[in-house]
Amino acid sequence: MATLTGPTGPGTGAGAQGDGGRGDGARRAAVGSRPPVVRPGVSGPELAAAPLVVRRVEEEETVVTFPTLVWKEFLAGLGMFVLLLAVSVQINAPLLQIANPAITPNPAKAPWYFVGLQELLEHFPPVMAGVMFPTFVIVGMLVTPYLDRNPSRRPQDRKVAIVMFTVYLCLAVTFVLVGQLFRGLGFNWDWTQIFGHPGLQSPY
Amino acid sequence: MSAESRGENPITALGRQVWGSIFRHGLPVSDKVAARTALTNFFLHVHPVRVKRSAIRVSYTLCLGGLSFFLFILLTISGLFLMFYYVPSTNQAYQNIQDLQFVATFGLLMRNLHRWAADAMVITVWLHMARVFYQGAYKPPREFNWAIGTLLLLTTLLLSFSGYLLPWDQLAIWAITVGTNMAKYAPIVGPFTHYVLLGGRTVSQGALIRFYVLHVIALPLVGFVLMVIHFWRVRKDGFTGGL
Repeated sequence: MATLTGPTGPGTGAGAQGDGGRGDGARRAAVGSRPPVVRPGVSGPELAAAPLVVRRVEEEETVVTFPTLVWKEFLAGLGMFVLLLAVSVQINAPLLQIANPAITPNPAKAPWYFVGLQELLEHFPPVMAGVMFPTFVIVGMLVTPYLDRNPSRRPQDRKVAIVMFTVYLCLAVTFVLVGQLFRGLGFNWDWTQIFGHPGLQSPY
Repeated sequence: MSAESRGENPITALGRQVWGSIFRHGLPVSDKVAARTALTNFFLHVHPVRVKRSAIRVSYTLCLGGLSFFLFILLTISGLFLMFYYVPSTNQAYQNIQDLQFVATFGLLMRNLHRWAADAMVITVWLHMARVFYQGAYKPPREFNWAIGTLLLLTTLLLSFSGYLLPWDQLAIWAITVGTNMAKYAPIVGPFTHYVLLGGRTVSQGALIRFYVLHVIALPLVGFVLMVIHFWRVRKDGFTGGL
């Protein structure tokens, strides 16, 4: 495998020359610790999938992280910083009246990323919405890699996992959006925040 | 060979020595020099020297993990600035925030940056999780690093939630009241957890100092330690690369 990939990658020469053990990480990255895909005596679809092997060779090409990766990270960080500066100049962080335990605002909402849980409270008993669902999601995420026995990373082999995760993501986003945008006085359903009052002239 | 024998100005030689003692190697003019620079630089050492080209393709990583870390640093710096002006007392906190907005130079900008970067970080960490899932990058040998990532997502949410109370306005106190009320629903331990979290039965001074300490010390430390493990494991477990 190493001889196969050597000539294709412009940078693999440094590892192959072996500069006194200092290029240890380089050599490991260039050669790869996984067993080679093409083995004598291997049979079945692995051998038949010739294009896959070609792509593996291409994948083994390595680059130096400095400056290649560092440069990308710098640009991404700079872009994010400029974006946040632009938003911060235009929009002020919210600040209402001083806290008053005697006056409950209507509606009282949790921070936006927890509003989905608040929305769940409207549909399920508190012990389910407030305790069981979050616990299930957290524990479920922690054990996901141990439950998922499918070794493939290719999307076409992981239809069930991808559908399940997508359903979870869509539910989470929907509940947050509903709680944030479509809940008005008393946390009751309210179209008017987004769509306005039908038949009424907007005051703005 | 000494500077004198090369006929170099001693000041220039000293400058060269100081520079060379900090940065062992020059600019990355070639891959070999770049590799040496990365190997001998503490900050660059967070990355391996070489990595598969496909593993760092922007269309693959979307830079989401790196952006989350960048936002954490940005939040630490802007948060440090805010701490100079903020006293976690129910008598002073709100006034401090108003001073920040209307009196302190760049105070409004720093508060806005801190607030919007916090929201952005919740989003980038969440998207990072989704990206890793869709690419199956949590599969062996990276199971444990996925678990660390889950804890980092929780830490991010708790950091944001604990910071929400600090301005001590109507938005803060009632959002925390609604949020912490959920803890009460847990069977048996619920009311006790609620009491410990708030340092009382309502959101008042006890809750403010607890959330402040959690927000500025405890949770950032937890997050930092988890991040160090997360990044180290990214290197040790190897990179996934294109599908």
